Amino acid sequence: MPWRLETPRVLVVDLDGSKTSAVRAQTGSMVAYEGDVQFKNAGMGGGGGLRAAFKQRVTGESLSLMEVTGRGTVHLAVDAGYVLVLDLAGDVLKAESEGLLCLANSLTTDVTFTGLQGASSGQGLFTTTVTGHGQAALISLGGPPIALRVTPQTPLVVDPDAYIGCVGNLNQSFVTDVSWRNLVGESSGEAFSLRFEGQGIVYIQPEER
Amino acid sequence: MGFTKVTPKVVLAEVRPGQEVLARRGAMLASSGEIAFSPVVGGPGGGAYGGGIAASLARGMQGEAVPLMVAEGNGSVHYGFRGHHVTVIDLDGSHPMSVEADRLLAHDANMSSSVVFLGQQGGLRGAVRGAVTGQGLFTTQLSGRGSVAVLSHGGTFALRVGGSQQIVVDPQAYVAHVGNLRLDVATALSWRDAVGRGSGEGVQLKVSGEGTVYVQASEEKL
Amino acid sequence: MVSTSPQPLDPSTLPDHDNVPDNPYAYCVRLNGPLFMQTGRMIAYYPVGGGTIRFEPLTATSMTAMVASHFSSPLYSRDWVVANGQGHVILGDRGYDINSYDLDDGNLTVRAANLLAFDAGLELKESIIPGFLTLLGTGKFLASSSGPVIFVEPPVRVDPEALVGWADCPAPSQHFDAGWMGHFLGAARGAVFGTRSGEERQYDFTGAGTVLLQSSERMLEDPHVVRRLEGEVNQLGTGQLRHLAGVIQSRLSQNG
Repeated sequence: MPWRLETPRVLVVDLDGSKTSAVRAQTGSMVAYEGDVQFKNAGMGGGGGLRAAFKQRVTGESLSLMEVTGRGTVHLAVDAGYVLVLDLAGDVLKAESEGLLCLANSLTTDVTFTGLQGASSGQGLFTTTVTGHGQAALISLGGPPIALRVTPQTPLVVDPDAYIGCVGNLNQSFVTDVSWRNLVGESSGEAFSLRFEGQGIVYIQPEER
Repeated sequence: MGFTKVTPKVVLAEVRPGQEVLARRGAMLASSGEIAFSPVVGGPGGGAYGGGIAASLARGMQGEAVPLMVAEGNGSVHYGFRGHHVTVIDLDGSHPMSVEADRLLAHDANMSSSVVFLGQQGGLRGAVRGAVTGQGLFTTQLSGRGSVAVLSHGGTFALRVGGSQQIVVDPQAYVAHVGNLRLDVATALSWRDAVGRGSGEGVQLKVSGEGTVYVQASEEKL
Repeated sequence: MVSTSPQPLDPSTLPDHDNVPDNPYAYCVRLNGPLFMQTGRMIAYYPVGGGTIRFEPLTATSMTAMVASHFSSPLYSRDWVVANGQGHVILGDRGYDINSYDLDDGNLTVRAANLLAFDAGLELKESIIPGFLTLLGTGKFLASSSGPVIFVEPPVRVDPEALVGWADCPAPSQHFDAGWMGHFLGAARGAVFGTRSGEERQYDFTGAGTVLLQSSERMLEDPHVVRRLEGEVNQLGTGQLRHLAGVIQSRLSQNG
């Protein structure tokens, strides 16, 4: 069943009672619905990310998904963010777990935690790897998402708080030079940047998480 | 009269004698001309404007007061609040409008208002003073002909309700409604999975009747 | 439904000095000489040809002479870097609208938190109004605003939080609405000057020029206020320091 946008910030999913139209959506992302729809907690989406989440003492709310099934229409939104819908056809999407809005049931997910200096450092990224055929929706906070192409000749460095996800054949590494960011005293933010090399597309949002 | 939307976050109001504007405190961004701002005082149904201003106070989520200011004189005022999006809704007087208490930015002073608590026992309850028990939310009900500016996180979208249709809205995303609508507040344990985000017991708003509900694309409180 | 993915951009399609296409909330600059940037506003950059883009803190740069002649605000120097190198830099700021402004032997005063970047043709000074910076000269700068910025002509009275900046007209004077205060004060008349809530203080603008406005988030803890106070504390005598300590203690116990 095709999804649509009510506004750039609201995703509308029509469910026809079949398993194929059912979706997994970010817990708490339902703002309105109509019909006979059920919402059930679906955990974090599998993978070693769960153990890392406990180590990090992450509440899990923004990382957990809920199964949405039944017959009706559901409006989904998160933090008034813009919705980015990607049509995966055997591609591999790596998304910042916090930024996942909705996934077609046909897609498989695996959540991993990549730490700056190992999983126990508390610094790093929760990544949900999404594979298969189907639609995946991400959230871009602060404005429309920006797609940036990476090629072997044009590597890209990204603020991890603005990073949403990437597709393609990319090598992602941590860069600890953050001279563009004020680490003295009162500022917040990650102590690393992300560097992308290879061939693919990186998605970023205009607002820092 | 009416509010003119200058940007998605700012409206402009022309103020004239007999055309005063009521707005929440802190909403005045800039004023030109000869405008005086004063707090609105008065008991339920009291006040010097139109049909009575709701207790001078809309109620916030915990029942706390949201003080109002009246702008009078001759000039124009830019209104906005903390960078939130503003939606302007014009009423023709045929139906009242209900706005979630924290989300009312400003309205024509000639409109009358009352505080209504949407409680869990089903249906509407009258203005409540003192302790309120159970889940629900405070709304300000506005009647009459005029213009209303409401706040939301990220803007609102409108859902039409009619016939036998029933729409369920996350109360944290509810902004306002206009028309002949019935809002039932209900809890559902399984709801907690759906709304998550520390919403506690999981309250839902069931909307039926004929009218329009305004919903925001976020569950953030203002 | 087709995907809503925007057209992918790269160094050959990114603008040299403009908003990212169809995106008022992100701005792209292709470095061409040193660029002063406020920290934390960079969201992505393409270093060119295996090289790097260097971001040097103003407090630790090799270009001390150049920096000193363009940036004379010790209070804010910790918040700024000089970007040097080759490549496109994309800036974002809290999801605010970002605009580019051109000064032609002109001057514009802007809220420090909203100034993102300026080129070396301009000089930066602190405004007499706390929290604001004045840019002088000829060149381009980038400023953000919560929502599109609104231009209003004086005479106008403005809420301090709504003020983004002003150009050409004199610095504002402060206005306290006596009538408004009269309603609220009653017996507590003396205590009001310690509180900051509602609309008791506003800025009055007169003259010929332009005032820039926004509906902004309330900044709960502005680090610049603390820095400014720390700077002033050095000038206080013992009696005054004791008085200040008392005021601070009373605020702390109020917050419980």
